Amino acid sequence: MAAESARKFEALEAQATALLDVFKRAGYEQVAPSIIQPADIFLDQIGEQVRSRTYVFTDLAGDELCLRPDLTVPVSRLYLERHPEADTPARYCYNGPAFRFQPDRNNQAHPREFRQAGIESFGEKDKESADVEAVALAVEAVRSAGLKNFWLRFGDIGLFYAFIDALALPERWRLKLRHYFWRPQAIHTLLSHLARGEWPDAEGPVTVLARTLNRDDPEKSEELVARYLDDKGLPLAGNRTLSEITARLLDLLGDLRAEPLRKEVATVIDYFLAVSAPPKEAVERIAMIAKGAGIDLAPPLKAFARRFERLEQGGVDLGKSTFATEFGRSFEYYSGLVFQIEVEGEGDVGQIAGGGRYDGLLAHIGAPREVPAIGAAIHTERLLAAVERRA
Amino acid sequence: MASPKLSIGVPSKGRLKDQAAAIFEKAGIPLRNKGHERGYRATLDGLDGVEVVLTSAAEIVHELKLGRVHLGITGEDLIRETLADVDGSVEFLAPLGLGRANVVVAVPDCWIDVTRMADLEDAAAQFARAHGRRLRVATKYMNLTRRFFAASGVAGYRIVESVGATEAIPAAGTAELIVDITTTGTTLRANHLKVLEDGLILKSQAHLFASLAAPWDASAKKLRDTIAGRLNTLRGLP
Repeated sequence: MAAESARKFEALEAQATALLDVFKRAGYEQVAPSIIQPADIFLDQIGEQVRSRTYVFTDLAGDELCLRPDLTVPVSRLYLERHPEADTPARYCYNGPAFRFQPDRNNQAHPREFRQAGIESFGEKDKESADVEAVALAVEAVRSAGLKNFWLRFGDIGLFYAFIDALALPERWRLKLRHYFWRPQAIHTLLSHLARGEWPDAEGPVTVLARTLNRDDPEKSEELVARYLDDKGLPLAGNRTLSEITARLLDLLGDLRAEPLRKEVATVIDYFLAVSAPPKEAVERIAMIAKGAGIDLAPPLKAFARRFERLEQGGVDLGKSTFATEFGRSFEYYSGLVFQIEVEGEGDVGQIAGGGRYDGLLAHIGAPREVPAIGAAIHTERLLAAVERRA
Repeated sequence: MASPKLSIGVPSKGRLKDQAAAIFEKAGIPLRNKGHERGYRATLDGLDGVEVVLTSAAEIVHELKLGRVHLGITGEDLIRETLADVDGSVEFLAPLGLGRANVVVAVPDCWIDVTRMADLEDAAAQFARAHGRRLRVATKYMNLTRRFFAASGVAGYRIVESVGATEAIPAAGTAELIVDITTTGTTLRANHLKVLEDGLILKSQAHLFASLAAPWDASAKKLRDTIAGRLNTLRGLP
């Protein structure tokens, strides 16, 4: 195990001071959230894939805690502690350690203990301006640290949602597709499955039961399901309710009755998810796909294109940048624009900074309502290494 | 006895202990406890130079990993759960036909809408929308669960660690489903749980394992071959 947390301690400290200066000049208040965090919130919001890389432990009082694997959730908790009503806009910046288990090994490019410097902005109602500000500030910060020759990669799950909403699809498929956005391998399987319209156990007892239900009468349907469970000696136990079980059987019934997903629609979704191009070109290609599918995507696309225009006006060079519809990051709490600042480097070594919009997170961790939120964090060890490689 | 040339970890409690003792007996190299009955060291009668270390099946996995025993008898489930690099840590020398059990994914049998892993992902998405949190999986097999769920494309869950009586947890409400070991399925059924159709994670049994980290000199290798040979010829016997 490494005996030092950071080899280039002084260089990192100097770099952090420069980064924080940029953030503070832009009106962000410096905060220092706790390193030890309740594990629950991370595990419920981020999921098991990150847990497998999070240092989780039980303290002497029996509480399940963790070393923060990232700073967005801790800063969000700090905001809620200061503003329980979540009714005041706030901008915070930070620099501090985060911890992740490195399955391959703990090395310089993948330290288990690393420092993130970043910003989080809460409650800003003008989302477009907040998006532009976060990207521009992250870019300014890495530039001020001496980084040249980098590019940006963008994604926007909001655009995927807008696209799915514009397609004529049953609500249950929309929900499914929204959910499967986070499962890149599974979504193509799901699409071909929906397009084939084949259902497992088409003649099984549960399918027979589903056919007796009525989608317009959930109450009666619940009664029928309750009777079925009773007859079969299957007591209703645990936290999933009768209405949840019934709802999924009603979805199954909907699938059994529905025409399969039209092949053209499945193809259009696949086309959409394959778009990866410089932002301007991406906008044109998505517009063409939408036109081909006969749907109106003009308002969200226009808003989408405007953010890139404003970034360029603000001096951010998007020449080498990419927008990819499928680029969504692995944290499921992102709800809109996501971005990454990248340089040459294998795997994630070249990922210098990243961020995105997460409007749903605060309500999940205790805010009384949804709170617009966007942030960005810089992996400071990687930034320093990239700057030194150039020098 | 002169200083031992090979050490072997053997389970010190439970059914696996009795079964292991029986198998050594049949192989003609019965376990002989050193000193009093409840000691932690034993020998194999008729095989000089072997020291038997009596400890728990879980501890044997660690001893094998660190090379503190040359050989060990323990369950494949514990080996695959505990060791990050199974092939780089141990060699499977002989399946023993003992401790046969399956590690499976089981859900409440009232979940008539869930029969496969793919259903589980859909139910997880619905559960998150309705309850604002993920489905919880109670298990002591955290790593096996994570790997299997990832391979099955299920991500909307979280694990709660269970130290015992896992099968009772869904009814108690501290988790919604479980990953557990089962031999006949009777306990699962008694707790109104059903195994998913494609929810078999591992068919496990006890094996004789060799540690790749232990010091293997010529005499240790010779003793290893003798023990593995004797146990292997027994395979299939009741």
